[in-house]
Amino acid sequence: MERRKKTGEMSAAELAEVLVEVRAGDPDAWGELYRQYGPAIFRFCRRVLPAREDAEDATTEIFMKVRQKLGTYDTSRPFVGWLYKVASNHCWDTLRRRRIRQDLETGDVETLPLEHPDPSQLERLQAEHSGKEIRAGLAKLPDRARMALVLRYYADMSYDEIAETLGVRRAFVGVLLLRARHQLRDVLGRSGSELLRGAIGGGRS
Amino acid sequence: MSHFDEMTGLLYLEGQLDADRAHTVAAHADSCPECRALLHALKSEDAWLREALAAEDEVIPARLVDAPVRAPVPWGWVTAFGLGAGGAYTLWSGFVEPLRTEAAQAGFTQGNLLTMLFFSGAFWKGWDAMRSLMEFLAMATLGTVMVWLLRRHWRRFATVAVVMGTMLCALAMPSTVGAAEVKKGNPGYTLPAGEEVKTDLIVTAERTQIDGVVDGDLIVFSSNVTVNGHVKGDILSFTQELRVNGTVDGNIRDFSQKLQLNGTVGKNVMVWAEHFNLEDEAKVGGTITMGSSHAQLSGQLAGDLLAFAGDLDINGSLGHDASIMASQLTIGPKAEIKGQTKFQGHHQPDVSSTAKLGSPIEVTIEKHRAEAAYNPARVIWHQLLHWGASFLFGLVFLLLAPGFFADASNSCKKVAPAIGFGILFLFATPIAAIIACCTIVGLGVGISALFLYLIAIYATQVFVGAWLGERLLGTSAGVGLAIGKLALGLAILRALRMIPFVGGWICFLIILWGLGALALAVYKNMRPPVAAAA
Repeated sequence: MERRKKTGEMSAAELAEVLVEVRAGDPDAWGELYRQYGPAIFRFCRRVLPAREDAEDATTEIFMKVRQKLGTYDTSRPFVGWLYKVASNHCWDTLRRRRIRQDLETGDVETLPLEHPDPSQLERLQAEHSGKEIRAGLAKLPDRARMALVLRYYADMSYDEIAETLGVRRAFVGVLLLRARHQLRDVLGRSGSELLRGAIGGGRS
Repeated sequence: MSHFDEMTGLLYLEGQLDADRAHTVAAHADSCPECRALLHALKSEDAWLREALAAEDEVIPARLVDAPVRAPVPWGWVTAFGLGAGGAYTLWSGFVEPLRTEAAQAGFTQGNLLTMLFFSGAFWKGWDAMRSLMEFLAMATLGTVMVWLLRRHWRRFATVAVVMGTMLCALAMPSTVGAAEVKKGNPGYTLPAGEEVKTDLIVTAERTQIDGVVDGDLIVFSSNVTVNGHVKGDILSFTQELRVNGTVDGNIRDFSQKLQLNGTVGKNVMVWAEHFNLEDEAKVGGTITMGSSHAQLSGQLAGDLLAFAGDLDINGSLGHDASIMASQLTIGPKAEIKGQTKFQGHHQPDVSSTAKLGSPIEVTIEKHRAEAAYNPARVIWHQLLHWGASFLFGLVFLLLAPGFFADASNSCKKVAPAIGFGILFLFATPIAAIIACCTIVGLGVGISALFLYLIAIYATQVFVGAWLGERLLGTSAGVGLAIGKLALGLAILRALRMIPFVGGWICFLIILWGLGALALAVYKNMRPPVAAAA
């Protein structure tokens, strides 16, 4: 799985062993687990929570939760998936505090029409922006859009998992992702956004 | 088929279409260069996003290098708080306190009444013991607030420099003026007979005795004060016991446990004391405004009397009108009231037949609260009104500042830190506000802060109520549901507060809890603003 490659080189057997030791209260094993997954979870938090301090706090808090809840982890399922589930729930909970305001401001985005991009302009946009700029653009997106993109393209979550985390219908996840992509394009290409919009619309039905 | 839309393209690439639909899309893309281009662009966008998000070019902060062993927040808070408190206390004892003395010399008059009232009064015996603790807490709070503020503008040295410079200038100004003599008792202070202080006299001492003459105001903070001499100005006193045997040409304004007047006061007396005795030989040239549990007026009063008292016994002479609110009023045989007398209380006044009254007493008997409260319908109606008011308040808050509202109610989850901070802020905020009002900005800011503090105390039930509602109805979001949760939570809190005996404590707990949550939410919102992802 891609997410495993991302988070560390520990084999499944090693991980299982470490988890048993952590459950038994071994501090070294806990340190080992943290070294393996801490950086990835920090980056996850960093991408989801705009303020760096929040991301740092969240990383620590997530690992404290992991330690407390490790007893409830079903070992037959991938640990990384469970870890991201804990992390995403925590971060979403943090973001949710401000979400009522967002709901009031934006209304139901599901009903808004989508505009189509011109593929060539889209590719140009991709070529023109570095990873750092993309992450900076991401920080400017609404919470839910940013969260959806990170859950999908960083934590590699399934549509079902995303729907469950964000509390939306599964069928809405695709709309959410596409909407988020559009918003990111808008943020990145704000200066030349006219080029991106609707170029394909005329010839399509 | 005709061209597919971007949504379909995305779902196709993400493997979210059923087999038939996916097959149709694939077949169409094979034959349609335009749709193929769209798919290609979306696919490369997918890779582009994944690559950008997966980049490991971000430095892991030092504090995250080691695995967390326990929840870090309390320790961080404790350390920061301890440092802040220590620093602030040093600042206080080394800088602010001397400056306050200077400010006092510059004319520490009634404008700063509130300050004196809280800091140097002796409403109750234990105040002195609490004082240093309160000051410490207050300074700690101020220190924390300063840290918050500075954190936000940490890098804006120019701003900090300007602010600090302005503050220093403002603080330095009062020290250039001096117009009073300040005496500190060791432990007592006596102004001997025959000696005269030619200016205002400010005394802080355990026992104070004025046998000489003060040619100005006497401002005194002391546990026992006796004035046998002559004060030509006013007396402003914060004491446990003030005894005036001599002459005061001006006013007396006293906050104490006991005030005993045997001498002569040229103008008015305003007293807030547990016991107040105007003895037979005492004379007051102006009016008396008093709040007292037990009061006896046997002397002569030339002007009006405005009294709020528990038991009031009048056996002297009143030259004008009397307006009295008391639970028990006794008008003795030697009493003489030349003007009108209005009385409001729980019981009929006991009036001696030989008392001389200018006109019959206008009596209003209040129904005792306990009696009124026995009506269950009335109780429920009142509770409903209270609930409605708090709900309306919460609703306005929720709609005006939804983010902050959610922060505050969410902070209630952190029960222990919230209650801890609640205790701190409940006691320290008013003190801190008063220090601020005394040393830096002025009375207006202090009073505004106190006003906000009262609003915050009222708001606590709203946050705790919203939290409680969320516990019961789940965490799903949405404005309508948030309002429902708030209504339910508030209703439950109101019901809990009606429980006899326990209700009061529950109310107190709600205040602590909510106040702490509010503080945490404020902290959350004072953090540095959104930073772009690195």
